[in-house]
Parts: sequence; C-alpha cells; structure tokens
Amino acid sequence: MVRFTTAALAAALAVAFGIPSVTQVQAQVPQGYPADYSKIVDAAKKEGKVVVYSTTDSASANALIQDFRKLYPGVTVEYSDLNSTELYNRFIAEAASGSGTGDVTWSSAMDLQVKLAADGYALTYDSPEIPSLPKWAVFKNQAFGTTYEPITFVYNKRLVPAEDVPQSHADFVKLLNAKPDFYKGKITAYDPERSGVGYLFVNQDVANWPQAWDLFKAFGKESIKLYTSAGAMMERVTSGEHLVAYGIFGSYALSRSHKDPNLGIVMPKDYTLVTSRVASISSKAKNPNAAKLFLDYILSKRGQEIIANKAELYSLRSDVTGEATLKKVEELIGDKARPVPINADLLEALNQTKRLAFLKKWQAAMKGQ
Amino acid sequence: MRFGWYRFLVIAVAAVAVLAPLVLVFYQSFLDAPFFQPVTHFSLEAYSFILSESDFWDAFVTTLLIGAGMTAIAVPLGAILAFLIVRTDLPGRSWLEPVILVPIFVSAIVLAFGYVVALGPVGIFSIMVKSWIGVVPWNIYSLASIAIVAGLMHVPHVYLYTAAALRGLGTDLEEAARVIGANPWRVAIHVSLPMVMPAILFAAVLVFFLGFELFGIPLVLGDPQGILVLSTYLYKLTNLLGVPSYQLMAVVVVAIVVVTLPLIYLQRRLLRQSQRYVSMRGKGQRAAPLRLGNWRWPAFAFIALWFFVTVVLPIAGITLRSFVVTWGEGVKLTEVLTLDHYRALLNFPNIERGILNTLAIGTIGGAFAVVGYTLVALAIHRWNSGWVRFVDYIVMLPRAMPGIVAGLALLWVFLFFKPISPLRATLVSLWLAYTIVWFAYGMRLISGTLLQVAPELEEAARTVGASEARVMRDVSVPLIRYGMIASWLLIFLIFVREYSTGIYLLGPGTEVIGSLLVSLWGTGDVDLVSALSVINVAMIGIGLAIAVRLGVRLHA
Repeated sequence: MVRFTTAALAAALAVAFGIPSVTQVQAQVPQGYPADYSKIVDAAKKEGKVVVYSTTDSASANALIQDFRKLYPGVTVEYSDLNSTELYNRFIAEAASGSGTGDVTWSSAMDLQVKLAADGYALTYDSPEIPSLPKWAVFKNQAFGTTYEPITFVYNKRLVPAEDVPQSHADFVKLLNAKPDFYKGKITAYDPERSGVGYLFVNQDVANWPQAWDLFKAFGKESIKLYTSAGAMMERVTSGEHLVAYGIFGSYALSRSHKDPNLGIVMPKDYTLVTSRVASISSKAKNPNAAKLFLDYILSKRGQEIIANKAELYSLRSDVTGEATLKKVEELIGDKARPVPINADLLEALNQTKRLAFLKKWQAAMKGQ
Repeated sequence: MRFGWYRFLVIAVAAVAVLAPLVLVFYQSFLDAPFFQPVTHFSLEAYSFILSESDFWDAFVTTLLIGAGMTAIAVPLGAILAFLIVRTDLPGRSWLEPVILVPIFVSAIVLAFGYVVALGPVGIFSIMVKSWIGVVPWNIYSLASIAIVAGLMHVPHVYLYTAAALRGLGTDLEEAARVIGANPWRVAIHVSLPMVMPAILFAAVLVFFLGFELFGIPLVLGDPQGILVLSTYLYKLTNLLGVPSYQLMAVVVVAIVVVTLPLIYLQRRLLRQSQRYVSMRGKGQRAAPLRLGNWRWPAFAFIALWFFVTVVLPIAGITLRSFVVTWGEGVKLTEVLTLDHYRALLNFPNIERGILNTLAIGTIGGAFAVVGYTLVALAIHRWNSGWVRFVDYIVMLPRAMPGIVAGLALLWVFLFFKPISPLRATLVSLWLAYTIVWFAYGMRLISGTLLQVAPELEEAARTVGASEARVMRDVSVPLIRYGMIASWLLIFLIFVREYSTGIYLLGPGTEVIGSLLVSLWGTGDVDLVSALSVINVAMIGIGLAIAVRLGVRLHA
C-alpha cells in the first residue's frame, strides 16, 4: 500500500510541476528498443489488457505483474494460473471455438508449448530481446524460454547423513547400491506416466547420460515412490517420510528451502538438466500488442531481475545477478548445465508409439528389470 | 393445462443441462481427435485402447473393491447412528446431528492430506504411537485404508437416508416390542431395521455409486503405492500420451455410465419398495425415546470415536500443519511454530476476492440452486408418469462424470453452445456447473421435504377448486419453506468446499478458494495450502454453527 501511495504522490507532483515522470518516459520505448516500438505501446494501450494463461502460480508471478503495471499503467494483466494440462486443454478448445482465449501462454510443459507453436497457434514475433537470450531458448521466434531452472535433488538435512548426499547422478546409483536397506521406499520422483514434466525429465536423462537406465532400475529395486506434484514430494521429504527426491525444479526447492532450512538442494555435478518456462503469443490473440509488451517485459532485464530475485524462478539472461540466475548456476556447476533446447525435438516426446515404448521400458525398470 | 407446460419446460431445461455435456463426451468417445478440430474421423480405437489397457482393468477392479469396502463400513455405521439419534435417549442428540454431517462438507483432498500429517508413516500421531509400542501399527496408504477412510466419510449419507426413513415411520411397533420386554438392541434389529431396510439398501447403492467418483482420497493416499482408481486413472490418461487424449477419457466415462445405469435402476426399485411404507407416515404424536439405560454412554463414546477418527484427526493434522514450518521424524513441534503461513496468505493476490467469491457462490448461488431444484421437484411432485423415471435418471447421471471430466465437458458446452458463451467468464458458469453436478443431492433434499407434506393438504386445496399451480404456490411451497432454508444451508456448505468441477471455468475475477488450493498444491506450496484449508474449514464450521443456532433441521 505504501508503495502505491508514494507512486501516486510522485505522479501527482509530476503533473503539478509539469515534469514528465520517470515511468512515463520508460513507458514509451524501453531503452535499446527500436523507435517504432512506440506504435506497439500505443496499440497496446488501446487494447488495454493482456490475458495470460500460465502455470506459474499467481503468488510467484505477483511481483512481475505489479511491476509490469508500473511500467505500462494503461495495460492491465488478466492472469490465470492453471496446471499445464489444463492450460493446454483450455487454450485449444477456446481457440477452436473462436471465443476469447489467452493472449500469452506461459507454461512449464515445454513440449506442449512447442506443439502449440508447431500446430500454428503461436504468433511469429521478432522480439527486440532475442539478442540477449541464449540460442537454445528461442524456437522460430514463436516460442521463447523465459527461465533457467536447474533440475535438482532435494534431501532431508536432518535425516540424511552428510556423506550420503549424492553429488551426481553416478553417486546416486552408488548410494542406492551401497545402502539399499536404509533407502528402501525413501526415494521419490515425479511419475513419468502421470506427469508431463516427469516424462520430460527422465527422457532427457536418457538422452544425456548413458547410464540413466541403471539408475532407474536401482530406483525400481528400492521401491521408489512416484508422485505428480512437487509439493507432495517436498512435503514428504521434509517430514522424513521420504529422504531424497530426484528431479525437483530448483525454483520450487529454493523457495521452500528459504522457509524450511532442513531442505537440502543438490545440483548434480556430472550434469544438471535445465528447463525453461516457455512463453508464446497466441496467433489468435485479441490483444496482440499488449501480448508483445508482456512477452518483451518478461524477457527484458527488468523483468528477469524480478524473475530471479522476487519470483525465484531463475533468470536465463547472463546480465542478471542474484541467487536464482544462470550466472549462479554456472558458478556452482561450471559447464555441466544441460539446458533442454526449445526445438522440434521436443515433439518426439509426444509421438504416441515412442512414448508408449519408453514408458514400457520404464515400467520394467520400476520392477528392477 | 398450463401446469403441464410448466412440467415439460422444467424437465426439458433440466435434461438439456445434464445431457449436453454427457452427449458431448459420448460423441467424443467415438472420434480419433478432439471433436472441435477441423479434421476428425469416426473411430473405435479409443475403446480398443482402453479395453486392452491392464491399468484400466486394475483401476476398475480397485474401484469396485473400494466401493464395496466403503459400503460395508458406511452402511452399518450410518444405520446405527440414525437409530441412536432418532429413536433413543442418547445424550446430546440434538446437537450431535449437525456434527455427524460434517464429513460431507469438508473437501476430501483436505481431509486426506490431514490424514497424511496425522497418521502417515511419520505423522504426528503415528510418531506418538511409535514411541509407546515401537511400531506404527497401520499403513494409511493401503487399499484397505482408502476403503476405511472413504467408508467413514460416507457414514453421513447413510445416516441421512435412514434417519429420514425412521422419522417417517410410526413408533407404535417399537413401543409394542418394548412393552413386552425387548431390550433396545432387539428392538433395533428385529423391529426398526426390517422396516427401514429399503431406505438402507437405497443408501447402500448410493454409497457404492459415490465410490466411483472418489478422487481426493485415492489421489493423496493412493499415490505412494501407485493405487489407481478410475478417477485417478483418468488423471493418468491426460498425460499418458503426452497430449491429452479426450477420446480415451471419454471412454472411461462411458464405462462408468454403463456401470451406473443398473445401479440407478436398482435404486429406483428399492425406493418404490420403501414407499410401500408411506401409509405409516405422518403420525403426529411425539413418541417417547427408547431408553438406552446403561448403554447411553457407551453409545455416545462410539459416536465420539467415529467422529474423532473421521473428522478430528485429519482436521487437527491440517490445522497443525498450518502453524508449523516443518514436521515429521526428529522435529520438535514447539520449535517450529509459526504464523508466517497466515501472514503470507494476507499478501496473496486475489485472496480476498477468492474468499468473497466462495461466499457468494455458496450463499447466492446456493439460493438459486435451491430454487432450481425446487422447480424440478415440484414438476414431478406426486406425478404418476414415465417422465418421473426419466428425471430420476438424469438427476443421477452427472455424478457419473468424475469432476475433472465434468469440468472439461462443461467448458466445451460453454464454448460451443453460442447463446450461453458470454456467461463463460462469469460466476454464472461456475454456478451452473456446481448446480448440475450436485443435482442428485439437492433434488433428494427438496423432494424429501416435499414428501413430508401430507397429501391431504394438497388434496383439500384441489377439492375447493385450486389449480395445480395454485396448489403448489399456496400450499406445497409455503409448507416446505423451512425445508428449503435447510437445503440452502446444506448446498452452501457443499458449494463452499467444491473445487474440481470449476477448474476450467475459472478466470481472473472468478477464482474461488478451491481453485486456489489446487493451483498451490501443484507448485508445492503446502504451507499456503494448509492455511487456506483451515480458513475453508472455518467457513464451513461457521455455516454449520449458524445452522444449529437457527435450529435448522439438517435432515431432509
């Protein structure tokens, strides 16, 4: 509230003294953007709002939305948070019916987002922020990575002996072979059969690491417990019902560890998968200009600083500093980060035959075979 | 003949509301792609895929087992409770009744999570027990536990039906048995029980049926062991092929409907039998309750135990969770106490709007729903026609669609049925979804009260020349107004806890607490989930307290 009042006061003063306020100047064309960007800004103000469908819960996204509002006071953000399947279901049905749908889709299901783009649901947009983004994070100027989230192991600091904590995927296999009784039923992970991200993670493990199936078989022998929600897993790890969780978004783990210091986080030293929340502008957007502003904003340095330091979703820009950033991840694991590239390869995960074959192999591994 | 028109209009509207989503789902089950896509083909592939999936059959059998198990637990307990409260001098029976109904009103996912905190492998009570006897003697993640928890939670349903039947019966036969020296048990088993048997069986079929749409309990308690029931299997199907395949989900719904239809038929037959006892209805005298004697307090303890396990334990679990940073093995709870989660809730965007919307949909939406249910109930009230059978079926059918599918199907209806499309982004769509899904429950409440209106009164009005519409307006409706208020409260409580049905219809401005809970659960914010749940439970508690204070009779 205080902040609002100050802002209002500043605005009132600015008007009173005929000084253009700082926010107003910025609102026209952000620094470094082409001059004709002001046309988009003006058109966006006429549209007046942008509808965002997102898998990021509104508590985390709130700081981002507030700041966007400050930057573009004429554009309100209508923000809906849904899980990734709901987002996809809702978006394609609404798009087909021709009634209003999200102007921006912003989802952690990278494969579904690329599918939307491949199916023609995404607008091609040459965002002025593209030069500042890693190459792997931009797909045909239609789908844009917005975060840099390491996939981590989390463990219970109270109950897991310090020397046990696996520092790499290979360590994990060794640990399970060395202390099978202690960890029986105490390991947890996403269920690739029931969770899209779960599938993505293990599928990428196999692509990045030849011994992945050995680890999965070891999981099977240890009667790993599989869940569909990060919350359920972290809750059970911190309570001691389970001890180590495999494959948790570093972003969720980080915020949780700030509240509960008992939660330990490891970025595996042999390789760490990195996923990204993918944003697209709908090709059927009713507010395409406002959508462009929003997309550019979350990719911009200003937006990414909030993504890193307020939302703790990990910024993917190398010019942003803080705990949840690409820079920090590099400091910790050097060149071992393996970002999942946003490209047509992701569609392979959606190929029915391949997917079912993979899952069959997974089911066998869960039986230790 | 104006009233005839009214009847058909009401039945037609109800039928469209119920059948539209269902027909869409059926249609979808025979296609090879989402029905709204430009190119789709007729195909039976979805059927052959599902029917050859071993997971489907496993889930099917598990569902039947859980349904049977919970019926076996809920029916005897509910019947005994009803007898104790309606017919005996049990201590505190006037305030016990609303308390017994509490499990209906608390969201299953909240209760289930409460059980994990209270009785899970490292739950608060489990650790206590472990420190006494060295082991935790139960495993809440087993199939048996799911059936037991579900059974205990459905006791109120059986209670409602049995109690209503008992109240409808005269007490003269029971008194006769007492006079010749039978003890309360014998009276219950040999006199009361046979008379209310049809109502009990009716409730048994209902509980078994509700077993098919359990979601929260198997989701939370079945997860660790990978136990799948049909509704959680549906959840899995959305993901199995990467892209949600609606035809597969549709096939599962068709399967559930196929199982449901004979159950509804069975229910109707049982209900017809129970109405043979209608002749004994309406005895006005207040009978003296049966004396339990030495059994008074043991009987009370029995109810208290059930209530403790079914309600107190899980709610204590979730409440505790909302005040601590962490819990479990090796944690001293006194060291981790905090109010931070509630503080965080204060800063949560849209939280006030979520709470206000929840209250609005409960109070205003609840009132409109009751009006709707009453219109339908009046249309078929004391009407001898095949159409009544039709209404009985369509009333139950929405329950055959588990929440996640019902929500999606309703989104489709709002999107592709253009006249109502503009309502989609408003609370009206949410209200309609809730109203349809709870049709069976609400109808039961209203028609239950309507049946209590003695036919003589209506006939008297007719004799002096009142039209059918006039009889309804001036006799039936005024007589059931207290019943309608009671139903309103019950519907309020149900709407306040509902979450899964509305998931696709919510948008900015129309969020409700349930939807906030679901989205927070996904991203792992259990702290906020538990705090929000406690607020949700508190709202329900206040509603109940008001109900009791106003002396609302909570039975139908």
